Amino acid sequence: MRIVVGDPEYCVACRDCAYACAFAHGGGFDRESSRIAVSFSPEDRVCLPLTCMHCAEAWCMEVCPADAISRDLETGAVVIHEERCAGCKMCLLACPLGAVGFDAAAGVARKCDLCDGDPACVRSCTVDVLQYCEPGEMADSRRESLEARLRAVYRKGEGGS
Amino acid sequence: MHVVIIGNSAAGLSALDSLRRRDRAATVTVVSSEGARPYSRVLLPYYLRGRIPHAGLFIRPEDHYERLDARTALGEVVERVDAEEHRVVLASGRSIGYDRLLVATGSRPGAPPIEGLAGPGVQGFWTLEDAERLDRDLRPGARVMVLGAGFVALQAAWAAHRRGASVTVVELEGRILPRVLDEEAARLLRAHIERTGVRIATSVCISGVERACGELCCTAAGTDTYEADIVIVATGVLPNDGLLPEAVSAQGPGLEVATTMETVVADVFAAGDVARAPMWGGAVGVLALWPVAIAQGRVAGANLAGAGLEYEGGLSANVTEMFGVTVASAGRFEEVPGEEVVVLRDLPGVEYLKLVLTGGVPVGAVYLGGQQAVRLLGRLGPYIRHGRPLGDPRAFFEERRSTGMVAVTPWFAHRAPDLGSAERTVTCAS
Repeated sequence: MRIVVGDPEYCVACRDCAYACAFAHGGGFDRESSRIAVSFSPEDRVCLPLTCMHCAEAWCMEVCPADAISRDLETGAVVIHEERCAGCKMCLLACPLGAVGFDAAAGVARKCDLCDGDPACVRSCTVDVLQYCEPGEMADSRRESLEARLRAVYRKGEGGS
Repeated sequence: MHVVIIGNSAAGLSALDSLRRRDRAATVTVVSSEGARPYSRVLLPYYLRGRIPHAGLFIRPEDHYERLDARTALGEVVERVDAEEHRVVLASGRSIGYDRLLVATGSRPGAPPIEGLAGPGVQGFWTLEDAERLDRDLRPGARVMVLGAGFVALQAAWAAHRRGASVTVVELEGRILPRVLDEEAARLLRAHIERTGVRIATSVCISGVERACGELCCTAAGTDTYEADIVIVATGVLPNDGLLPEAVSAQGPGLEVATTMETVVADVFAAGDVARAPMWGGAVGVLALWPVAIAQGRVAGANLAGAGLEYEGGLSANVTEMFGVTVASAGRFEEVPGEEVVVLRDLPGVEYLKLVLTGGVPVGAVYLGGQQAVRLLGRLGPYIRHGRPLGDPRAFFEERRSTGMVAVTPWFAHRAPDLGSAERTVTCAS
């Protein structure tokens, strides 16, 4: 299945993804209600976009005592059904990524639902860092780009340009 | 192969799912004394305070057992397990043979030694029936006394308060939530609760209950008396381990299981509140928690199908909201001499966050604050479970602060000075 992944190497932490997510889910432009977040650590010069990984064995889904979390058969997304969620927050405590948030107004947990297969965050990413792809694809594309750069360095070492 | 599962709550349901993921062929029979569709005990307080409807309590479809091709004996009480003959004998006289048996009988409320406690007006808050009865009886103005100050007790108190009852919580120990929060978090939560008008009396030992004219009069060991219309007893639970006395641990109640969830009795497994299982950190004990029951059920179910899984050990983790405050704890949060304690009170949404670290590795934490920031504790889970050093705890959470949706980094901090390190308090909606 495909998930939203981002290459930290090229992310500039513009947070357009977070705004797009908040807007797509009816939250206006309040980034607090976004289901994707960009961790930005200027000391380490790292920008890391992070959202739900839709784990194969999803902790949140397993632990939910309200049977409110299930896997969407179309997209494979792990989805919270608001009408069943009692707001107990066990999923917030269970998620090792901190990818589940809480909608205080509705009193329910919220997380990435992959926008029915067309994630708003990916559409809005200005630098094409976010990809909606198989987790392996990102690794492949990273390897290709690394190879290209290594080749360039090697050519320089050889006296090329 | 015939598998019998006794119990249809967290551990039993999880075991059946796990078993069926691996084995569609085995004959499975689910036996439970509770006759209704599987419901969630965790949700009972949410129902009682009107947060979810009655129908929302049921966590499996009506035809759940048919879908999983399981036979059922619901509403049937198991009288005994004949381990020699490999059969379960029901109170109705029927008996069911098994090749492998899972005992997932859960726990029951303990009855404190109080004279006159049994009788009308006094009840627990543990089963669907309890919740339905309270839903009928809890009227505005009713005087409710809650015995105990654990999760269940305070959830009952909150629900009763929300329904307009006049509530008094009476606890034997010196503070509320003794096994879930540390002193400081308990003190903060108590202040929140008392501000709502709910009375809390700690270090009070109720010695007797008397009934007169439909009114209950509870006498404390001293001279205090408390008058009430309804008494809710929630002083803790005990494992329903009576079916298999030969597997009960010498160390205490509960059916002792190995990491495979097998008891010492051949072909008999146990999981959930009834099991005395390996815990994170090497100890063995009963952790009567929903997520633990799910995890144990998953391992037991897989092993009923012969998968050979091992349970990695339960990590105590609790979260709930009460009186508008979210409280949570994970792991071992009471420090021993030589351990480092870090208390953070100035993170967004956090009123109190305490970490206990041994040599830089977090071993437990307590949280009190807003609803969303409790996920900080979730992020700590892998560090506790795998013994990973955290680095600078403040930096960990500050960095997470930028993941944690508020996204103020030191770089931009001058543009939002109010989110600096000043003490922040949480305004909690009730």
